[in-house]
Amino acid sequence: MSTIILLIVTAIFFIWSLIKDKEKSIESLRLAKKLFQSTFIEVFALMALVALFLSWIPDSVIKNLLGNSNEILSVLFGAGIGTITIIPAFVAFPLAGSLLKSGANLIAIAAFLSTLTMVGFATMPIEIRYFGKKFTFVRNAVSIVAAVFIALGMGVIL
Amino acid sequence: MIIVEKIKKYKIQFITLLLYIATLIYNSDIFMNSVKTTGGYLKEMIEILPAVFVISGLITVWVPRETITKYFGKNSGIKGNLLSMILGSVSAGPIYAAFPIAFSLINKGASILNVVILISTWAVIKVPMLLVESKFLGIDFMAARTILTIPSIFVIGYITSKVVKKEDVLQSEENMNISGRTIIEIDSVLPHFNCGGCGYSKCKDYAKSIVENGEETNKCKVGGQKVTEQINEIMQINDDVQDVSE
Repeated sequence: MSTIILLIVTAIFFIWSLIKDKEKSIESLRLAKKLFQSTFIEVFALMALVALFLSWIPDSVIKNLLGNSNEILSVLFGAGIGTITIIPAFVAFPLAGSLLKSGANLIAIAAFLSTLTMVGFATMPIEIRYFGKKFTFVRNAVSIVAAVFIALGMGVIL
Repeated sequence: MIIVEKIKKYKIQFITLLLYIATLIYNSDIFMNSVKTTGGYLKEMIEILPAVFVISGLITVWVPRETITKYFGKNSGIKGNLLSMILGSVSAGPIYAAFPIAFSLINKGASILNVVILISTWAVIKVPMLLVESKFLGIDFMAARTILTIPSIFVIGYITSKVVKKEDVLQSEENMNISGRTIIEIDSVLPHFNCGGCGYSKCKDYAKSIVENGEETNKCKVGGQKVTEQINEIMQINDDVQDVSE
C-alpha cells in the first residue's frame, strides 16, 4: 500500500519536473542513476549473505537464545541477532509472535525488533558510503544501546 | 592484475558467491532456502529503491538550499524535529531506502539531529508496520514499544549530533562525484533568468565555470550579494571535502 503511494508521489513529482524544466529533470535522473549504482550491487550481495546466514541457523537456536532464563542475557542476544540480521518487517512480526508463544522472553523480543529495524550490519557499508564511518558507527552503537533500554523499559511497563 | 583488483573491489560479492557455491555442494535445501529469501529481498528493493533514488535526485535539483536549511537545519528547532519525524513515518521502505533521501537533505543544509531522526523514524515508526505488530504481538506490546521509541529517537539523534560534526559527514563522501554535485548545487541557487549578465549565456554554464575553472563567485547580477554568499558557502564545504580526499 505505502509502496503504491510512494510510486504515485514519485511519478507526480517527476512529471511536474518534466513540465517545468526538461534539462533539470534529466539531471536529476543522472543523479539518481549514480546513487543507484553506488548502492544496489552492494546491498544485494549483503542481503544474499544475510539470507544465507538465516538459512544456516535453525529457528530453534534463535528460540533458545531469546528464551534464555537469564533475562538480561536474552535481551543482549535479542539485540545482537537483530543487529546482524535484516528481515522485512512483515516477516519479522509473525516470527516474533511465534517466538513469543514458544517461550521467548518478551523483552528479548522487544530488543530484537528494535535493533532489527534501526541497526544493521548488512546496511552499514551503504551507510558509510553516504555518511562516513564516524556517523555510521556512532548512530548504530547509540541505537543498539537505546534498543536495550527500550526493551528493559517494556519489561517494567508490561 | 586487473582480475585481482576486481576481486578486491567486489570482495563482499565474491565471498557471498563462494559461500553460496559451498552451500549448494553441502546442502541444497539450505541453498534453495537462501535463494528464496534473497528473492524476497530483491523484490522489496526493486519496488522501492528506484522511486527513492528518483526522489533524491529531484530534491537535489529542485529544492532550494535555503528551504532545506530553514526547515531541517540547525536552527529549525522542534518544528524541524517533528517535520523529520513525520517525513520518516509516512515514507515507504526499509532503512536503507532512507539513506539516499537523508543524504540529499544533509548536503542541502539539514542538521545531523534531524537526519538521524529521519532515518530512525523511517526504520521504526510506520503506520502499516504498527498494525502488523499489534496483530502478532498484541496492542499493549506495540503501544509500549512505540511510546518508548519516540523519545529514544530524540536521544539517539541528540547524542549522535554531539559526537559527530557535520564536517565529519560532508568530508567523507570520497566516493561520490563531488564536482558534479557541486555544479548542480550552485546551479540550484542561481536565479535562472539566464540573463547573461555574468558573461555566460546560461546560469548553468556559470555554475560549471565556478567549479571547473575557478571563476569568481560574485558575477551574478540578478542574485547579488545573497547568491554570492550562498555560492561561497557551497564552495567552502566542498573545498574541505577535496582536501581530505587527497
